[in-house]
Amino acid sequence: MADETFLSDDLLRQLMSVGEVDLLVGILSHNSASTMRTAARLIEHSLQVNFVRQRMAIISVDGGAVEDGGVDSSGSDGGAKNGPSKGLSSLRTIHRIAAGFNSAPSAGLALRTFLSSADLLRAKACAVVSPATASTAPDWIANLLRPALRDNYDFVAPMYSRHKFQGLLARNLLYPMTRALFGRRIRELYSDEWAFSSKLGSFCLGQEVWNEEPVRTRPEAWMGISAMASDFRCCQVFLGEKPQPPAGSGPDIVEALRQTVGSLFWCLETRQNEWLGRDGSEPVPTFGPDHAVTTESSDLDLGHIFEMFKSGVKQLEPVLNSILSSETHTNVQTIAQLDQQGFRFGTDLWVKVLYDFAASYHRSVINRDHLVQALVPLYRGKICSFLIEHANSAPADMEADSETLCMEFERQKPYLIEKWKAGVEVKS
Amino acid sequence: MKDTIVQGLEQAYYNLVHMIAEFLPRFVVMLVIIAVGLLAAYVIRYVLRALLRLTKLDRVSEDAGASRVLRMADLPSMTELLSRSIFWITWIGFILIGVSILGVAGLQEQISRLFRFLPEIFIAMLILFLGLVLANFLSRAALLASVNAGYRSAKIVSWSIRFVIWILAISMALEELGLARQTVIAAFSIVFGASMLGLAIAFGLGGQGLARQMLERHLGESAKEKYKEPQPL
Repeated sequence: MADETFLSDDLLRQLMSVGEVDLLVGILSHNSASTMRTAARLIEHSLQVNFVRQRMAIISVDGGAVEDGGVDSSGSDGGAKNGPSKGLSSLRTIHRIAAGFNSAPSAGLALRTFLSSADLLRAKACAVVSPATASTAPDWIANLLRPALRDNYDFVAPMYSRHKFQGLLARNLLYPMTRALFGRRIRELYSDEWAFSSKLGSFCLGQEVWNEEPVRTRPEAWMGISAMASDFRCCQVFLGEKPQPPAGSGPDIVEALRQTVGSLFWCLETRQNEWLGRDGSEPVPTFGPDHAVTTESSDLDLGHIFEMFKSGVKQLEPVLNSILSSETHTNVQTIAQLDQQGFRFGTDLWVKVLYDFAASYHRSVINRDHLVQALVPLYRGKICSFLIEHANSAPADMEADSETLCMEFERQKPYLIEKWKAGVEVKS
Repeated sequence: MKDTIVQGLEQAYYNLVHMIAEFLPRFVVMLVIIAVGLLAAYVIRYVLRALLRLTKLDRVSEDAGASRVLRMADLPSMTELLSRSIFWITWIGFILIGVSILGVAGLQEQISRLFRFLPEIFIAMLILFLGLVLANFLSRAALLASVNAGYRSAKIVSWSIRFVIWILAISMALEELGLARQTVIAAFSIVFGASMLGLAIAFGLGGQGLARQMLERHLGESAKEKYKEPQPL
């Protein structure tokens, strides 16, 4: 049962006026009232076309847009109800609900509000999208909702067509590590859109984690990992080409690592009973192509990235010494001496580095946020190596290389378990 | 005459016997107090060590960088150091109480002065420890931020922060102890002021180009800089 106490009176009033629904779509954002209106209209149109008989509602949860939640508020009931548009095939009314926060909005609070609303509305399937996605590709929502509604999947992750040098953090770190540890091959856990069943929604709502920083900043990853760890039915849906955020609007490399890797390490800590006993990995059902990579040219500054790696390894020597094992640290220092042309960050070493970081996070050898930040130069090194190796690679070669990395993560899992279970190691 | 001498000797003998009779019980009491103190100190050390291990102080100390400093000074772990310190402080306290029972003139005043000074020593030690922890945390945060932002002089920034906090903590500790109060304040003002003035002059005269580059990078071309690296997500 949802914790109704943190929902505002206004939101509860709107939810009660709606009653029960089959499908619920949440547009989660922060201070995007104008984008929200367009997004809600487009989503409504898409739902009317794709789900003719279902009872549906759209809820916009916008931290900062308290006045109207960014959704059209026409009508005597404060915007809770809107009739179907002319010429569309839905037999039902689509309700629109607006929720806003007065203070300290976060992605986690927005998702919690959405889950509570879904619980109160007894929605069978739910989808979460960002205003940007809803505006550019509203049909994605129907593609995400279908497996949850018709095939009873509990967690539906998106898959995208990407440029070969896009999403390198997911390709080189998040996907292979999550796959090796939690045993499910889900490629995109850190995305702006996903769907889930009422069963998974209620399960997540009941967890006492909503004040934890990783859940506040990256609730989608936590939800996906919870689904994998607790053996919910998971699948993937190919959506299309992922839209790129405008230049400078997305998180930079440091912030992205702090949020995603910090969240992953935290999930390892809280879910250790589940992953410590698992071996290997199994694929999840995928609707559409398994992967898609495009090969447009890019103008990345390889020399700059390489210099930042070398400089980071040198200047963070005492910090890395307290995190990495002696052998791994020595190997990292050795490759940092190479010139750019001959530089390679091998998969074996990369996996050892990440497992050392995860074990050190577990033992709290230094402040955990500092620890994740210390990974940034090494990630730059890995990315530089990846860019050098795959400058002219075909998508199939890159995919084969990714698979090799995933297998290496799985092969070395006992190394992590051994370090994880070891006592506090005080280095001299 | 003879009687007077004998009487004097008898008096001296009686005085000596009286003094010994008075001193011996006090000495025995002192020994008992010292022995009880030793036992109490052992018990306190044992309990404190167990408590500190339960609270995982060594992990906090490792995280804060205090353990590293202790190792550099060839000292034991924080838990061991604290429990040993409390052992010695407790036992020395009992020894001083025992010695004061002897009633040696002049010693009482010195002992009571030492006891009055103990809280200040504790506070000074606490200030130094907190300064050490804060300096380590902030200097590491600055180092990581500078390295990840690509600044070449990340170590200088980090060490400057560490140095300033150390100087501040040492000055505050000495101020608390009341040692050369005026000298400490004057020395701190001179060192801190000179450092800041030196930095201001260095940046003003020598770093015009660098300042211009930094301003341009932060205010004018931030988006362009970000896109030199691939989008992580």
